[in-house]
Order: sequence, then C-alpha cells, then structure tokens
Amino acid sequence: MGSGVPTLLEIQTAMRRGLLDDGHARVAALLDDALAPADRLRIYRNTSRTALTNALRLNFPAVQRLVGEDFFAAAAETFITREPPQTAWLDLYGESFPEFLQSFEPAASLTYLPDVARLERAVDHALHAVHAEPLEYPQLLDIEPSVHRRLCFTPHPSVSLVFSPYPVDAIWRAVLTRDDAALAAIDLSTGAVWLLVERRAGEIEVAQLDERPWKFAEALFAGHSLSAALAVADDPNAAAWLAAHFAAGHLSDFALSNTESLVVAGHAQ
Amino acid sequence: MRFQHHQAVLDTRPDVAWMEVHTENYMGGGSPIRCLEIIRRDIPISLHGVGLSLGSAEGLDQAHLDRIWQVAERIEPDLMSEHIAWSVSGGTYLADLLPLPMTEEALAVVCRHVDQVQSTIGRRILVENPSTYMQFRHSTMPEWEFMAAVAARTGCGILCDVNNIYLSAKNHGWDPLAYLAALPSDAIGEIHLAGHSARQLADGGTLRIDDHSSRVIGEVWSLYETALQRFGPVPTLIEWDQNVPPLDVLVEEARHADALIGVASDGVRRADAA
Repeated sequence: MGSGVPTLLEIQTAMRRGLLDDGHARVAALLDDALAPADRLRIYRNTSRTALTNALRLNFPAVQRLVGEDFFAAAAETFITREPPQTAWLDLYGESFPEFLQSFEPAASLTYLPDVARLERAVDHALHAVHAEPLEYPQLLDIEPSVHRRLCFTPHPSVSLVFSPYPVDAIWRAVLTRDDAALAAIDLSTGAVWLLVERRAGEIEVAQLDERPWKFAEALFAGHSLSAALAVADDPNAAAWLAAHFAAGHLSDFALSNTESLVVAGHAQ
Repeated sequence: MRFQHHQAVLDTRPDVAWMEVHTENYMGGGSPIRCLEIIRRDIPISLHGVGLSLGSAEGLDQAHLDRIWQVAERIEPDLMSEHIAWSVSGGTYLADLLPLPMTEEALAVVCRHVDQVQSTIGRRILVENPSTYMQFRHSTMPEWEFMAAVAARTGCGILCDVNNIYLSAKNHGWDPLAYLAALPSDAIGEIHLAGHSARQLADGGTLRIDDHSSRVIGEVWSLYETALQRFGPVPTLIEWDQNVPPLDVLVEEARHADALIGVASDGVRRADAA
C-alpha cells in the first residue's frame, strides 16, 4: 500500500485478507476507530463464518447429523478458509466439500462420509438446477438414421449419477428421517450402489440402478457419442434404457459428434 | 418469508399487504421460485438482495446480476433492493455486508453499479443504508451525504433502515436525527426495523450489532416515528430472522408499526385536506 490515500481496491483486498486469514494489522491501519480494531473486524468475520457454515449445513444436512454439530462446524471452518465461495448464490456452495471430507484427517474413520456428501451434492444440484425443457424423441426424427450413432446428449441439469461402495442412499434416508432403527440396521458390507438423482415435478428422487445401465448413463451424460455409450453398456437392453431416459426427461439437448469414439459433446463439431 | 413458510402461505393466503424475500433464495429452477410465482399472484413481493456487492472495486459479478434479472423477470416484484456495502473481493464472496469508505471514489463505484443494475433489469431499485462497526480514517463525507448522493445521481430510491441508523449512530457518535433529516424524503421507498444486541469490546467500549433477533427497542420506535413524520406512511418491514419468537410477538410488533403508520397517514390526509 502506498503512503497516500489507499484506493478502494487496496482497502477491500486488506479486508478480504483480514477476514479469511484472521489478521487485523492491515485493516487497523485503515481505520478511524483507534479502539479495538481486532474486535471490530471479528464481528464481520463471525457473521461471514456463520452464514457460510449455515449454507454448508443446509446443503449437507445428513453429513451434519452423522458427525454432529461441533465436528461439522470444525470441518466447515477449515473448508471455508481453504475454499471460500466464488459467488453469492450459496445454494450450490460446497461443490468440493465431499472431496475435502475425503482428505479431512479427523473424518478418516468414517469411510462412507465423503460418499454421503457426494449424494447430498447431487441432491442439492437436483433441488436448485435451473429449469430446462426435456428433449423429446420427435426432435430427433430429422436426423439421418445413418448418423444416429454419432448423437451426443446433454443431461437435464437436475440429473446426476452417484456411485458408492457403501449403501449411502439407505444411510442418507435413515439419517434425514431420523430413523435410528433403520440406521442401526444398515450393514456397510452389503455392497455398492449405483444411483441416479433427479428432480421430478419439484420432488427429489434417488433411484438405484443396476451397474450396467448406470455405466451406460454415465457415458451418455458425460456427452460421449451414442456409439461409445452402447460400447460401454455392451448389453442388448441398452436401446430400451435410452428410451427410458427419453421418457423420464433425463436429456435436454443433443448434438452430432464427428466421431463415434469417446469424445465430449461440448467438443463435437 | 422463508422456505418453511411457503406451504402455510399457499394454504392460508394470509391477509398481509406485501412480503419480502431474499432474492438469493430463489435463483434455482426448483420449487422455491415456483411457489413464489403462485404467491405473487395474490401478494405483492419485494425482492431484497444481499449478495450483489454494489461497492466492489472490481466490478459487479455479471452472472449474479443475470440471476437477479431472471428472478425479477419471473416474479415482477413491486420493490427491489440492495445494500450500500460490498461482499465480493478477488473473486471471493465474503458473505457479509462489509463497510465502504465514504469517499468520492467509492461513491462513483456504487453509482456506476446502481446505473448498471437499473439498466440491466429495467427497474428502479432501492439501496439500503448499512449497519457499520468501523469507519475508515480517510472517509471524506458522512454516510447520510453518501446515501443522498447515490439517490440523486442514479435516480434510485432509498430503503431506510431505521435500526441501522440508530446503531451506527451509537457506534460512531453520530446524530441519528441529523441523519434522517439529510435523507431526501421523496426517495424513501421502504423502511426496515429490527432488534439489535450490544457487545463489549476489549477496551471496555460497546458496539451495537444488527442481528435481527429481538424486539425493536424504544429508541428505535421513537426514531421510526420521526422518520414517518418526515417521509410519510412508507411500507415498513420488521426483520426478525434469528431466534424467531412465537407468532403473537411478531404480530404485536407489526401492529405497533401499523399503528404508527396509521398516525402518519392521518397526518398526510390532514395535510392533503388543508
């Protein structure tokens, strides 16, 4: 900072650093209030931390109940310092919270916790995704059958897929309905789950798929060509699965890839 | 109004003059915005934003402004408001309404952004005076001058938060009546009231904190009466969103405000008749 009057940009940069790193010396030098600069800055810091912790709590309610209020607050404090939000739309804050929990040492013994968080992230996306009209099959009638295999699809913004080696859907339901008996009865060794999460008529649905249809959907939703998705599926029922995605409104747009191999739709010509 | 009230509002269609919601809670495409669209058919809505950061030196977050515009297009609010504050720096949203230095530079930044917002969404907005806990040493004008200048230069209105005036005045040794007297009457489009708390500082001093968690105190009611005498019967909202009390306490607070507005309206009618 120069010796003259600090600019607005310099003030805001100093305040941001003071709020994120909890240091007040740079801010104190800017203030007219000679008294208790640290206390003054801390009032803003507390409000900010409380708002962001509440946002995480709203977006990851099952994680919070699983680990308890104090543990969650401590995890949130670390996460907020490392990855504060980039936008004021906090409904989707915590995009990387599941991966953070995976590397958060105090939670290491709760092996299923990051996957519960991934399921909650998918639910959060489904709740808040923007509105989009589903793709209707007749919209494809003008496409030459000879190029059908080069079709790439965009999934509906509310739809996403979650895989876990643990029964995280059962855990999530039991925790949120406060069904302690159901939670106690869950056996973590029952095996993996392949889930599809979506918003249907305003309600959130978490459905279990079989492994092959889930992998077909994964390739399809990632924007790979139909040909590539069919190769991943390697199953005679794949055409029926595609029809089911149309019927359920899981797709919102399409494009033609210039290749049948694994490419992302966004890169198609 | 908060999400947990949606169903109750849809079921009972309460007899209220209008409702205010946080714009940021309706930016997704799910059920909240659809509920608000239905409620809006019967009840006028005020969209109160908390995240646009009108005072950011680095410019507005265009994506956030676009989301606000989309909510406004769908809801067609009767009022829209934001704050004289900043919340975004270096691409980080700091999740609080942070204080601005009261300088010509900050005033120019805020005015440029208010112009940008009003031309993007095609509506006049109101800007709310902040509650502040620090003052910058190189500020060159009092906050009331800053508020009046934003309204004069951009044509925007003012959301006068009477509790914020009271507690900032206490925190910084200002005269709250002088503050009210300096605001342009014809720009006042809404009033906020709220409770607040006091916190001890390390040096023994006290700061009053805006926390929306208790009854409006007597001195703020008095200041509100003065505001109504000066501004007329302006739509008033009591903010109480922490430690929310039983409904009858809220109703009692609202009735108190209504009674005072009634007195102010009588005054206006008498003046009209004269």
